[in-house]
Amino acid sequence: MRNNEKENEKPLLVVEDLRQYFKASGNFTVRAVEGVSFKIYPGETYGLVGESGSGKSTIGRSIIRLYNPTSGKITFDDMDISGRLGKDGKKKLHTQMQMIFQDPMASLNPRKKVGDIIGEGLDIHHKYSSRMERDNLIREILVKVGLAPEHASRYPHQFSGGQRQRVGIARALIMNPKLIIADECISALDVSIQAQVVNLMKDIQQETGTAYLFIAHDLSMVKYISDRIGVLHLGHLLETGTTEEIFENPVHPYTRSLLSAIPVPNPLVEKNRIAESYDYKTSGLDYNKGTSHFVSGSHYVKCTDAEFEKWKKRA
Amino acid sequence: MAKEKEQILKIRDLDISFQAAAGNVHAIRGVNIDLYKGETVAIVGESGSGKSVTMKAAMGILASNAVVNQGSIEFSYHHEDGTPETVDILTKDKRWIRNHINGKRIAMVFQDPMTSLDPTMTIGKQIMEGMIWHFKTPKKEAWKRAVGLLEEVGIEDAEKRMKHYPHQLSGGMRQRVVIAIALACNPDLLICDEPTTALDVTIQAKIIELIKRVQKERGISVIYITHDLGVVAKVADYVNVMYAGKIVEKGTINEIFYDPRHPYTWGLLSAMPDLETEDERLYTIPGSPPNLLKEKEGDAFAPRNCFALAIDDKAEPPMFQITETHFAATWLLDERAPKAEMPAELSARIARMKKEAKVHEE
Repeated sequence: MRNNEKENEKPLLVVEDLRQYFKASGNFTVRAVEGVSFKIYPGETYGLVGESGSGKSTIGRSIIRLYNPTSGKITFDDMDISGRLGKDGKKKLHTQMQMIFQDPMASLNPRKKVGDIIGEGLDIHHKYSSRMERDNLIREILVKVGLAPEHASRYPHQFSGGQRQRVGIARALIMNPKLIIADECISALDVSIQAQVVNLMKDIQQETGTAYLFIAHDLSMVKYISDRIGVLHLGHLLETGTTEEIFENPVHPYTRSLLSAIPVPNPLVEKNRIAESYDYKTSGLDYNKGTSHFVSGSHYVKCTDAEFEKWKKRA
Repeated sequence: MAKEKEQILKIRDLDISFQAAAGNVHAIRGVNIDLYKGETVAIVGESGSGKSVTMKAAMGILASNAVVNQGSIEFSYHHEDGTPETVDILTKDKRWIRNHINGKRIAMVFQDPMTSLDPTMTIGKQIMEGMIWHFKTPKKEAWKRAVGLLEEVGIEDAEKRMKHYPHQLSGGMRQRVVIAIALACNPDLLICDEPTTALDVTIQAKIIELIKRVQKERGISVIYITHDLGVVAKVADYVNVMYAGKIVEKGTINEIFYDPRHPYTWGLLSAMPDLETEDERLYTIPGSPPNLLKEKEGDAFAPRNCFALAIDDKAEPPMFQITETHFAATWLLDERAPKAEMPAELSARIARMKKEAKVHEE
């Protein structure tokens, strides 16, 4: 697709060997993210998929610095944002990178009017010269996400789930970010509303050229929105590549089981299909021993040499 | 053939409203559902369409502010000595239902296993609870049967797991325990209310296969409440599509997926991104589900329906019969209606689905 031109382009976000550990007690550490590396180019969508507990949300939160990464390097727009943040770094992070959360009701302050929720970033970073300009900006953004300007004076509880998620998107968009981290932002919505929100996100990307880190467990939606995909399991990035590469030629057995587990809305086919099963404990794999192997184009898989030879033959 | 089948559940003209502070919410507006022994019926719809309320009514566990305006829910079962009996659940009081129906003959699996399990009780105790309560099973025997159930639902080290608390299990295992509890009293009917929505795809596949296997082995009937059409395709024999408290289309699984007639079903099928979709945009149903606080004249789906006719604003469409098993409530099927075709993308997709299905049959 757009890969060839991307090779020459400068990536917007580079994550190198990111590790995020949480100390649960004196002698037990949860290794949520184990040496994950990937790149996001300007204007593209990178989908992170994996089951719950695989560390996909943790990666998003480490990048936007809701957590302090244990080790690894994160470069955002030519600036190192993984160590101690200076004033410039903080400012850049807080304006150029935004996040959309899963549950729109829990992430919007119920005591604030929607206009003030959306305008909060503008207020903090003094992005306007007059009250009029602020209100105009808020109105514009509301229209852009498919709401009406008069909605600015309402409270979150007066909206439906899909509308609330639009408010969440508006709040992220108003800062004109270069990267939006969408953490399971459609999982809590109804099917018909999911499609509306995903279409909106695609339209906005085309218009503003913002990049998305799209975190989800629903592979069919991820396939639809992403240019490239990373598959996570137990904190390891097992396989990454363009959407076509992953879906046409999944190499890692975990990716294959994940793809085969998606139910197909086609009764005659689905009734006879048996999902490939995969269990890390009995598979005999050790993710810690794996290294990155090149498959094709931008398709990489993490495994040992022997495993790679075996899987390549099968594929 | 159809007459030989033994009917388990027969819901007729069910009409329920809730008295809320803001007014009367008319949640169920004339629902008919039939279920035969050993079969699986799926109820599909968005949140707020009334699918859970219908099933809660069948279990007699409606919220206290619910008012049943009319209708009947006839449930047929056999006594221990084999004599058949049919009761209208709506006419029975809570206590009778608790003693004779809940858990014993109709069991329910809820969406979130963490909230449906008691965090202060070991899972062994929770599985045995129903048997001891309903059948006065001796404790030792109940324990043995509970271990057997845990093995049946695919939990290893069942003996050891009996003493564990819910928080010691993973999400998928918890849902397996909930299924074991539901099966403990050998019910005739299992109601699964979004049993896999809170789970990952890989675990979802395993749980669905488990429910299918159990159903086959025990010959019980299953009602599946879900909004995931992929899951429906896997499990269901019959599908009921619900919208705003009404069933708008019902039919066999193949009729609904390969020959849908209602514009809402078209929308639902199109909005689901299948893995072969190459289009740049997903089809969406415009607008959002209606507010049931306000009674609307005519078809509730009309404001979101790009195929809506003038009559849709005045009168509610009746159920039009298409085949012996296939019904749809849309004025488009009236002989006076102008001819309306399903969206081109959808018909292309259905053609592709049929082609794939053929490949599989050969």
